[in-house]
Parts: sequence; C-alpha cells; structure tokens
Amino acid sequence: MTRRILGILTLTLALLHSPAAAQEHGVESQESRVDGHEVADAGHGPSDQIDITHHIGNSSEIETPFGVIHLPQWEPIPIGGILLDLSPTKHTVFMAFAAFVVGLTFLLSARSVKRAERAGRPAKGFAGAMEAMALWIRQEVVLPNVGHHGAGYAPYLLTLFFFILVMNLLGLMPWGATATGNISVTAALAVIAFLVIEISGMKALGFKGYMNTIFFIPAGLPGGVGGAILKPLLLVIMTPIEIIGKLAKPFALAVRLFANMTAGHVLVLALIGLTFIFKSYSVGIASSALATGIMLLELFVAFLQAYVFTLLTAVFIGLMRESH
Amino acid sequence: MKLTFALLLLALTATPAHAQGGPLTVEGGLMFWTIVIFAALLFILWKFAWPQILGAVEAREQALEKQIAEAAQNREESARILEEQKKLLQDARSQAHSIVSEAGAQGERERTLVLEKARQEQEELVARARRDLAAERDRAIADLRREAVDLSLAAAGRLIGQRLEGDADRKLVLDYLGTLESQN
Repeated sequence: MTRRILGILTLTLALLHSPAAAQEHGVESQESRVDGHEVADAGHGPSDQIDITHHIGNSSEIETPFGVIHLPQWEPIPIGGILLDLSPTKHTVFMAFAAFVVGLTFLLSARSVKRAERAGRPAKGFAGAMEAMALWIRQEVVLPNVGHHGAGYAPYLLTLFFFILVMNLLGLMPWGATATGNISVTAALAVIAFLVIEISGMKALGFKGYMNTIFFIPAGLPGGVGGAILKPLLLVIMTPIEIIGKLAKPFALAVRLFANMTAGHVLVLALIGLTFIFKSYSVGIASSALATGIMLLELFVAFLQAYVFTLLTAVFIGLMRESH
Repeated sequence: MKLTFALLLLALTATPAHAQGGPLTVEGGLMFWTIVIFAALLFILWKFAWPQILGAVEAREQALEKQIAEAAQNREESARILEEQKKLLQDARSQAHSIVSEAGAQGERERTLVLEKARQEQEELVARARRDLAAERDRAIADLRREAVDLSLAAAGRLIGQRLEGDADRKLVLDYLGTLESQN
C-alpha cells in the first residue's frame, strides 16, 4: 500500500521533473515506473497501475476502443544541428482532428447562415448558436480590448478561441487526448500570438513608435548634463526589462493553458487512481463522484481557458497598439 | 526567478527525448505541426467562414457608422442653415429698426418744422394784429384829439362869444394839449 502511494508521489514528481528525474535515477527498475512508455507497453497485460504521465503525455500511438493504433515514424530532419522530428504523434492527430472539427463546423455554419440570410431570416439551430458564439467573442472579447478598428483581428482571435476550445474538449472525451495539455502546442500558439501582438504594434505605431516600446526613455527627464547621463543609463536598465516584458506575456499564455489542462487531467486520473489503490467500493464511489465533479469543472475550465487565452491575446494586442 | 525557471525549462528540453520525454519537453515537430495546422485552419476560416458569419453584422455596423456620419453631417448642415437664418433675421430686424428710427427722426423733424412754422405764422399774425391795433388806436387818439380840439374851440368860442376859427387858435389848443400830454 505505502509502496503504491509512494509510486503516485513519484509519478507526481516525475510530472514536474520527468526527464531530469529519469536521468538522476537512471536505474532500470525505477525507469520502468517513472517512464510511462514502457509501463504502457508492459501494461497490455493486467496491470493495477495507472500511469498518469503516459495518459497526459504525447506518444506515437493512439489508444482506441478497438486497439492501439501505431502512428508512422519518420526519419528526423536535421535543420542546423537540430533534429526536427515531424512524425505524427497522438497530440498531432488530435490537434488535426480539432482543426477538422472547427473547420467543418464553421464552414457548415457559414453556409447555413448565408442561406438563412438570403431567405431573410436569422440562422436557426446549431448554426445560429455558432453564429451567436462567434458574434459574442467578436463583440465582447475582440472589439472592446483590441481598440479601434479591432475588427481586423476578429478572424485570428475567433479561430484561436474555437481551436483551443475544441482541443480542450477533445481531451475530455473517452480515449481522447488533450493537445493543449502539451507545452509544445501551447508554446507554438503563444509564438503565433507573440508575432501577432508585435506585428500589430508595428502596424499601429510605425517603426519608430514600435522601437519606442523596446528602447524606452520616459518623458520628463532633466536636460543638460544630468539628462545626458540619465538617458543611456535608463536605456541600459529599461531595454532588457521591456524585452522580458514582451516575452513574458506569451510565456505566461503558454504555461497557463498547458498547466490548467494538465492539472485537471492529473487530478481526475489521480482520483480514479485512488479506486485502484484502495480496491474498495466506498472509495471507488467517493472518488468516482469526485472525479465526476472535477470533470464538470474541467468542462468549464475548457471553455474558460480558451476564453482566457483569447481575451489576454486581445488585451495584449490592444495594449501594444495603445502604447506610446 | 524567471531566469532560473527559463534555465530549468531549457535544461528539461535539452535532455535527449528518450522514450517520449516528460510533460515539459518541447517537441519541435509538434510545434511545427501546431503552427501549420493553425495557419491552415485560420486561412480556411478567414476565407470561407468568418466573412459569411460576421458579414451581416459587419454590414450592419458599417451601415450604422455611415448613418451616424450622415446624421452628424446633417446636423452640421442644419446648424449652419439655422445660423444663416438667424443672421438673416437679425439683419432684417436691425434694418427694420433703423427704418423705424429713421422714420421717427424724420417725423420729429417734420413736427418741429411744422411747429416752428406755425409759431412764426402765429407770431406774425399777432404782430400784425398788434400793429393794426396800434394804428387804429393812434387814429382813434388823433380823431379824439381833433374832436376834443373842435369841442374845446367850440366851447371856448361860446364862452368868449367869438368865433375862434383861426389856425393860430387851433395851434394854441394843440400846444396846450401837448403840455397836458407831456404833464401826464
């Protein structure tokens, strides 16, 4: 019993530190427990262990109710000393599926909205709901935060919102995987957000105005000799701070989404895991009830985090465009 | 703090991805696919979905904006016209005022002129009347005096029993009357 609790603890630790921990211990017997992959391979037979890392992590195989699908492995492409492995993984597949779902949903909704418009009536049913949701994001999230002429950013922010939302929701499906629970996915989305924010700044402020957001000298410095000393000094101090400020925003976006999606799944899996540890009906019922509650919370969080990512991106774009 | 975390992240990602790595492993391939898939989705939706879904609202918004601009223009126009009308009214009023005051002044001038003329005429009339009166009186006095002389002469002639008809006598009485007059 205590060994199993220790096992869970190790898993939690591994979650925080996995590669480092694996390196530190490096012992074969530890490796099999810490490293999800091998346990999963071994777990084709009866196993009473739940490997959380394996469930939330990426892998080159997809578990379906009809068996495990092994994804093809491609030779990594070397680009300037870095090996870029473009082989599809579980998260790639679920992300592509999410994109497919979002694309299909809105292409069909657009068609139905257009048809309804031509008939001179508002869109009904699912298409109407999708239209209302898109409009809500546009009116309540994009326009008030991006500032004047913010409508041009609506397509990007709308796509971002629904893409993240569907990825979050797919993770709650049985046999589903949360692509947004992978730091690579959220980091890539944050990189795109970073580019959009900075380019919006360049467009709104011009080259000189944009450079002012990096090399910032506050107004009201004394002139003369004092100013001549203060200005370079301030530049030396402020420039790294401004650059860190620019990078911290997308970094926070990436970590927030990743951590929220990961934390919820770890919690659900840990609660379900209690059943297998204690092997008791009462614990099973209690932990199932708790896990259900957490799942409902996760459903809310899936919407919330998609909203927060979109809202903050809109706010950052607005801040960037307004800064002088 | 942030730097140590960044270093930790770097250290975590730098470790060779044995098996599939931990949750903090940044997989370049997955990042690549994320960007590709997101870009494709964005392109498709931007081209074929969002304009149709947001089109009606955007059109309405633009129409509204246009209407607001038009209303502002109309308001400006009407304000301008109102200002013009006010100016015209003001002009007309001042013109009317000047006409009225001009007429008043004219009337006043006419009145004084007429009055002056009337006064002059009256004065002339009075003066003539006075002159006539004075002439009449003088004549009356002269008549009276002649009568008086005749009467005195007649009375004096009866008194002294002789006819006093000479010019010398008349002169005597007249001289006497002259002294009376001077005595008075």
